[in-house]
Amino acid sequence: MKGRKLKKGDIESALNEFLKGDQHLVLGFEKGENGVSPKIFKGSLDHYSLLNPVFGANAALYLRRLFSKGCQVMLMLRPCEIRAYVELQKLTQIEREDIIAVSIDCPGTISSKDKKGDVPTEADQLTDYFKSSDSMRWACSVCGERRGVVGDAGVRIDRNGNFWVIPYTEKGETLLARMEGESEEVPAEMLIGESKKADKFQVDMETFDKDFEKCTMCMNCRDMCPVCYCIDCVFHGDEYIPKGDALINKILRSGSTKMPQGKELFHLIRMYHVSQTCVGCGACEEACPQGIPLTKYFKGISERLQGMFAYMSGRSFDEAIPYLTFLEDELKDAED
Amino acid sequence: MGEAKKKDGVEIVGFACSFCTFKASEMAGSLRMKYPEGVKLVQVPCSSRVDPAFVIKAIFEGADGVFVAGCHPGDCHFIKGNYYTRRKIAALKEMFDAFSMKEKLRLFWVSAAEARRFVEKVTDMHNELKERKNEREKA
Repeated sequence: MKGRKLKKGDIESALNEFLKGDQHLVLGFEKGENGVSPKIFKGSLDHYSLLNPVFGANAALYLRRLFSKGCQVMLMLRPCEIRAYVELQKLTQIEREDIIAVSIDCPGTISSKDKKGDVPTEADQLTDYFKSSDSMRWACSVCGERRGVVGDAGVRIDRNGNFWVIPYTEKGETLLARMEGESEEVPAEMLIGESKKADKFQVDMETFDKDFEKCTMCMNCRDMCPVCYCIDCVFHGDEYIPKGDALINKILRSGSTKMPQGKELFHLIRMYHVSQTCVGCGACEEACPQGIPLTKYFKGISERLQGMFAYMSGRSFDEAIPYLTFLEDELKDAED
Repeated sequence: MGEAKKKDGVEIVGFACSFCTFKASEMAGSLRMKYPEGVKLVQVPCSSRVDPAFVIKAIFEGADGVFVAGCHPGDCHFIKGNYYTRRKIAALKEMFDAFSMKEKLRLFWVSAAEARRFVEKVTDMHNELKERKNEREKA
């Protein structure tokens, strides 16, 4: 695979060059006084940071229903965010035409909830930081796809700490075209390699009840999930989670009910609905005010269900989402 | 649920395709075949109309088991509806397996002519759930 080795400042100057174009935007990270946060840059970059060591929300969330014509947006995001973008594009929530998605190798992140003091933003310092402390988010520590191998292009880090830009599609070449130098063969070994496969997720309803005991049904997990995109969610009406009169009628019909009711309903239905598109970013857990280990469930279930169809969310633009397609000759043992 | 549930009864909610399984159940009725009274059928225009959310809702609102039944693959009235059902319900079964409650969900293919097969399948499911329930109550 061919790529280009970067010198210091190469990315910034290429992005600045890109931003000079009419209606060109860059969604990336800004290094501010209080840490790093996502930012959409217009005109020119200032305090740009390639890596973001703090995870607050999945930035693909901001891209939903982006159909603008004539405006070029360059995404410089983590692999999980680019994968969520790919899934949303398959679900026709984003127009792919005007977007150049660049995934950047991710050394891992810490939760925005327990951010204390300074966290390094350079790749080599960050890997050392995570080696010496166990503050990495659980979702990141079990993440199998932290490599920047998705989207139109990728920024990879090799074992000597050099950055490489590797185009995967024609669109990815536009980033490379704004840089000087020649393409050369990319080293096979990178700093962040493939992770090992996790065990099959297995749990029972007692553990589930214990874990979700604190749930207050605020539904923040649904609102912050990048791939939970339905405008008219099934939980908006009175059919699944009744309120007011509907609730009283239901209790009169069926008997005493512990409140808030419908926790299993809400989480299991959501778990199923996002099962093929979940990227395991852990934005739901990040948004949960009660600290429920949501990633464990959502990632575990989605890995099992995606494994059935040899699918992986966000891996490529061309794979169809399994529930939206079928093969005639498959699943012979589905019937009981 | 106006009157109180029978204590030893097992409640099964079945989603039956109106072109095949529901016809089979009607035929079973006209042939005077008997199937357990805890089985409640919900008629759906095609088995792919069943959103797995319906199944999850049925189970957490009190059903002991749920089955989804449709035409044999390839025989769908809407050409390919039951291929989608097969993928969706197989995935839902895998999810129930992860939560250790695999026995609560079944998927049947029953054509309109197979009244006997429908009765057998339903009775079999009912008996197994009843056995499990009795075991639980003993323990």
